[in-house]
Amino acid sequence: MKSVSSLDCVIEISEKINIQNSSDEIKINCSNSESSPTIDIEIKKSKINNRIHLTCNEKQDIKAAINLQIHNNATLEFIDEANYEGATDIKMNTIMRPNAVFELYRFNKFNVSTKNSFVHNCDLQSNCIFRDFNFSNGSKEMSNITKISLNEKNSKYIGSGVVIADSTNCKNQLDISHMSQSAISDCSFKTVSRGKSNVTFKGKVFVDDDCSDTVSSQISKGLVMSDESKINLTPILEINNDDVVCSHGAASGKPDDSVLFYLASRGIEKSDAEKLYMQGFLSEFLNKIENVQMQSKARDYINQNC
Amino acid sequence: MLEIKNLDVSVEDKQIIKNLNLKIGPGEVHAIMGPNGSGKSTIAHTLAGKPNYLVEAGNVDFKNEDLIAKDPYERSLLGLFLAFQYPIELPGVTNASYLKQILNAHRKSRGENPIDAGEFLKILKEKSRNLNIPMEMHSRFVNAGFSGGEKKKNEVLQMDLLNPSLIIMDETDSGLDVDALKSTSEAVNKLRDGKRSFLIITHYLRLLEYIEPDHVHVFGDGSIIESGDKSLASRIDNEGYEVK
Repeated sequence: MKSVSSLDCVIEISEKINIQNSSDEIKINCSNSESSPTIDIEIKKSKINNRIHLTCNEKQDIKAAINLQIHNNATLEFIDEANYEGATDIKMNTIMRPNAVFELYRFNKFNVSTKNSFVHNCDLQSNCIFRDFNFSNGSKEMSNITKISLNEKNSKYIGSGVVIADSTNCKNQLDISHMSQSAISDCSFKTVSRGKSNVTFKGKVFVDDDCSDTVSSQISKGLVMSDESKINLTPILEINNDDVVCSHGAASGKPDDSVLFYLASRGIEKSDAEKLYMQGFLSEFLNKIENVQMQSKARDYINQNC
Repeated sequence: MLEIKNLDVSVEDKQIIKNLNLKIGPGEVHAIMGPNGSGKSTIAHTLAGKPNYLVEAGNVDFKNEDLIAKDPYERSLLGLFLAFQYPIELPGVTNASYLKQILNAHRKSRGENPIDAGEFLKILKEKSRNLNIPMEMHSRFVNAGFSGGEKKKNEVLQMDLLNPSLIIMDETDSGLDVDALKSTSEAVNKLRDGKRSFLIITHYLRLLEYIEPDHVHVFGDGSIIESGDKSLASRIDNEGYEVK
């Protein structure tokens, strides 16, 4: 277990749900059935960041639903550092009340022979900020779906996904719906595909017709490290208002031979040069993580899994 | 140190180097001059082992070892350093992290432990100060957004860090203003210790006014067509490559 501060709340999902160190600001109700526990979490207003650590030490399959409500002006860091040994089916529904700030960090390792699914629906009200960072190694069959609804003005979503696949598969879908004016979304997705991996990313940005002053950016990049691996990046934009600034870009390909030669010319052998190349490729967007501790965890995750 | 014998090199089925012979002794500084497209840079990249540069005939002996048989990284570990004309950018990797990694690759090949973080910082500060490189540059990504002068200084910093036996400088003067050329050349001259050898590839005399060569070779159509001392470089500068 990682060391946690006094305000941390630690949740272990296993056959029996355990809750430890619940702070006054975090109210949690659990209805536990062996097949599908439901966790209702309510975050009240707090001047200090609340933090929830989700860990999983069991090898069993997990099916769970997490209903999260972050009240006005409340903040929450939700950190999922579980190593999921078994199959998973986790559904998360989040409602962010005005001025709420939510930071979701997922640094997960999955068993390469399991089936895993994560679905997150998140509704943002006015002036909310949701920072969403996901790091994964994929599995035999992984589905990672996030649906963001920017329902009220000045709501903001910043998201980055990193998939380091090594003969694993990972299907990623990110739907961002701008349903109100003056909302911002900024999404980046990066993946490295090795062995016989197959990674897909479908990123959709929808802007409703009355959503003027919208700013949206989406970029996805993939690095194909073997002849047998595949990456498929699909940006989709549906813009129904003229007063918007929207950009998107998608690119995938093999490593640049001139970079690998440059590294070799400095004494770095091929496998180490490829590793350094991948680390650099995936680390390019890490400055989007403003939380220094989480940025460090993200860098460690990349360095350990490349 | 280095002996090239009857070397033929092709790139994408086109022969670029034709029956090249060149011998560089310990501590010697050789300069190769020549017009665009004469094959100067091809020599540099062939010696460093660039993929797709196919050695069709001949051999290269470096420190009594068959250089051509070695992988590019092995050539570096053996003591060959190529300063690139266009240093490559490596986004996402800080310069400090990169420099530490290349230094540790060489230490590992010598059976030494990875360098301690404190010791590395001390060395980096000292060598950067000598080159007037601000430490701030090392927290940026490798060569990304560097000016032409910063990139070339970073190349010289790497050659200083790795302590090679033979340094090949591929048009290091290109893209440098007068001041940057002077400071870069001064840094290179500090590396001249009577044992380390240099192969300087350039179009112009100006670099050789700062880094004085022992031998100058004129390259044309894939081979050396004339050799001499430094005065040959002055003559080329006055008369051009067309008149010999």
